Amino acid sequence: MALGLGMAQQTLTVYSGRGQSLVEPLVKQFEQDTGIRVQVRYGTDAQILATLQEEGSRSPADIFWANTSGALGQAAERGLLRPLGESLLKVPVGFVPASKTWVPVTLRLRVLAYNPAKVKAEELPQSILDLPRFAREKGLKVGWTPTYSSFQDMVAGMILLHGEEATRRWLQEMKALSPKSYASNPAMLDAIRAGEVDLGSTNHYYVLRFQRAGYTFGVHHFKDGDAGNLALVTGAGILKTGKNLSAATRFLTYLLSPKAQQYFVGNVGEYPLVKGVVPDPRLLSLEEALRKTPRLDFEKLDLDRALRLLRELGVL
Amino acid sequence: MTLVRVRHQLPGLLPFLLPALLTGGGVVLPLLYLLLRALEAEPKAFFEILLRPKNLELLLNTLALLLGVLLLATLLALPLAFLTTRTDLRGKRLWATLLALPLAVPGYVGAYVLLAATGPGGVLPLPRLEGYWGAVLVLGFTTYPYLFLALRAAFLGLDPGLEEAARTLGKTPLRAFFQVTLPQLFPAFLSGALVVALHVVGDFGTVSLLRYETFSYAIYLQYNAAFDRTYAAWLALFLLLLTGGLLLLEGLLLRRLHLARSGKGLGSKGRPLSLGAFRPLAYALLLLPLLLALLFPLFALFHLASRFPAGGLVGLQEAFWHSALVALPAALLAVGMALPIAYLRVRQPSPASQTLERLAYLGYTIPPLAFALAWIFFSLRGVPFLYGTLPLLVLVLAFHFLAEALGPVRGALYQVPRRLEEAARTLGETPTGAFFRVTFPLLWRGAVAAGALAFIGAVKELPITLLLAPMGYSTLSTRVFSYTQEAMFAEAAPFALFILLLSAAFVGVLLWSERRY
Repeated sequence: MALGLGMAQQTLTVYSGRGQSLVEPLVKQFEQDTGIRVQVRYGTDAQILATLQEEGSRSPADIFWANTSGALGQAAERGLLRPLGESLLKVPVGFVPASKTWVPVTLRLRVLAYNPAKVKAEELPQSILDLPRFAREKGLKVGWTPTYSSFQDMVAGMILLHGEEATRRWLQEMKALSPKSYASNPAMLDAIRAGEVDLGSTNHYYVLRFQRAGYTFGVHHFKDGDAGNLALVTGAGILKTGKNLSAATRFLTYLLSPKAQQYFVGNVGEYPLVKGVVPDPRLLSLEEALRKTPRLDFEKLDLDRALRLLRELGVL
Repeated sequence: MTLVRVRHQLPGLLPFLLPALLTGGGVVLPLLYLLLRALEAEPKAFFEILLRPKNLELLLNTLALLLGVLLLATLLALPLAFLTTRTDLRGKRLWATLLALPLAVPGYVGAYVLLAATGPGGVLPLPRLEGYWGAVLVLGFTTYPYLFLALRAAFLGLDPGLEEAARTLGKTPLRAFFQVTLPQLFPAFLSGALVVALHVVGDFGTVSLLRYETFSYAIYLQYNAAFDRTYAAWLALFLLLLTGGLLLLEGLLLRRLHLARSGKGLGSKGRPLSLGAFRPLAYALLLLPLLLALLFPLFALFHLASRFPAGGLVGLQEAFWHSALVALPAALLAVGMALPIAYLRVRQPSPASQTLERLAYLGYTIPPLAFALAWIFFSLRGVPFLYGTLPLLVLVLAFHFLAEALGPVRGALYQVPRRLEEAARTLGETPTGAFFRVTFPLLWRGAVAAGALAFIGAVKELPITLLLAPMGYSTLSTRVFSYTQEAMFAEAAPFALFILLLSAAFVGVLLWSERRY
């Protein structure tokens, strides 16, 4: 019996909205380092959230590891997540949610990617709110990715910072530029590279990946605290259905260890959320990144409202 | 009198009835699930959803796409099926294999390739093709093989004696073709067109990438962006209403169709038509879909891949076997389920057998994501020990792709003379016995075609595989998904290529089986 329990504790079931290609090596490393076997189900955040809800109390999952704080917020709101201990929550340098049911693991920043042959760095506006006017005056072609979750998060962030009216006006001004819509960020960046459009707001690691492959891109950060620099947090929480609390806690602790955090910087190109990690020279330092992003409660990001607005304006 | 006949036949039909009913149940459960979720809506939200003007727009968009794709697919499939069966074209079987291959190109890959290839900076000097025309093009060229295969099987099963008879009665070859041959192809055309239509109505990969708003695009957005299962369920039900309309239409068109030959034995092989001066034109027509739907995506895939340095081929072999291990039994099972349903439909036409068949088609249009969620919900409550196992994944894929298997089986069944079976019955065989001794050997070609279609569908399928596969079980399609999700095209390319190879092998099997005739 005791043996059986001991054996059971050595297998952990993770539902991951993070892509297999990105995190599988890290999971393998965790298995090697701890001797705990990990089974992972990969999908998108939305698929996994829906799966968890259909599984209900019968879910075999111990951990929900997500790409977006929105999905984690939803999981928390629906009571799927277990409150976490203080020892875990004090490790990351920020972004711990008020519900204390999940830990932030890495950070991505919204940035403006541009073609340096078409735009001069010093001319670029200080706020994303001024972007439409700037593009119009300079006759620049704008790309955007309205169906992409991070773009929608950014719109939710603008609503929280500037209110729905200002956000509506911004979207209308953007629409008036007839921006080119892209289904994915790499497609948009490829279009910037090829000269189809001149600039577009995106997540920093997409630009980094193109840069690492040897392509030239301009990266612009708006002034400190601007909605155009919104930070997007990935994170993980322990599910109430989890049968394996100690192993699950070890997994979360591992994700916040210097070793795992260094992996995220090196292999994924994301910002770490703990101190003492060697940064990528193409990226801002962690301190700068934290200064750039607006200060707001990420669980208050109202994605539904953002989507309603996007639909109302016919963007979606 | 009919009652007596039914009572007399019932014990013999039981072996067909039972699997057919079980299968029907497997498709009905997801439908129940959608109703369950849809009814969670609060009254106010309900009316907001129901009366949204957007619904009309989505409906018109979906119908317009449907018409465009069907037209394009028919324009491609009909002449191609004719060329590869009835003419003196050399290497007909090879051509047929190649022409069926675009089936292996998933719509989402086709759309991505189109987006990457056109517009400034693309491989082709063309304006960016997206929205309606882009979707028609991608879906037309990736779904025409369904129609092509159905029509080809029909051409091969056709008795040229009929056309010859028409010729001896003084009709020109062209008139004989249009008045005698074409009507004979109608059931095959309908079954192929129905699968194309269901495919178009249910597609979300292509339309979401190309940004053309149909019902399934809206459903995809609700699940993925808004985490809203209730609204998504309502949209899915609207979608099913549309499918119901299509099925009704198909049923009306197929009503009272008698096509089996009344002569003795098998049809003779007719003399192939000489292409003569039309040969260059024929080759142009044969090459067009190959270039656009096969070679060009391959080229673009590698071109995209070359933008980024490739990583290793982690798990390629494993994913290959995993895909085969799922798709093969799923295809067999799908055919096994399609046979009794098609048999009841063709041999015992009644409202009940028609409903059963329609249900299978209806199940095909339930968005795969909802299909998978329904099975999570019901399996955990009904058969929890099956949850997260390979058998459940196989079973659900078979339920989903049953509709693709139905068409070829049904088409073949229509061409098997009923009299053969009746003769066996008068010699004392039960309906089951008569079916297996007499009819099934003549259905072989249709069954293999059905299996190949279901197999290829199962290899490409994504949401069901992601959600129901055993933990840590990666297939070719889940690998392609995970790499393209992170824009790692170089890494995704070999996996996409292997989907193509695996499917190609199966198209080969399918066409090889025709040799037996």
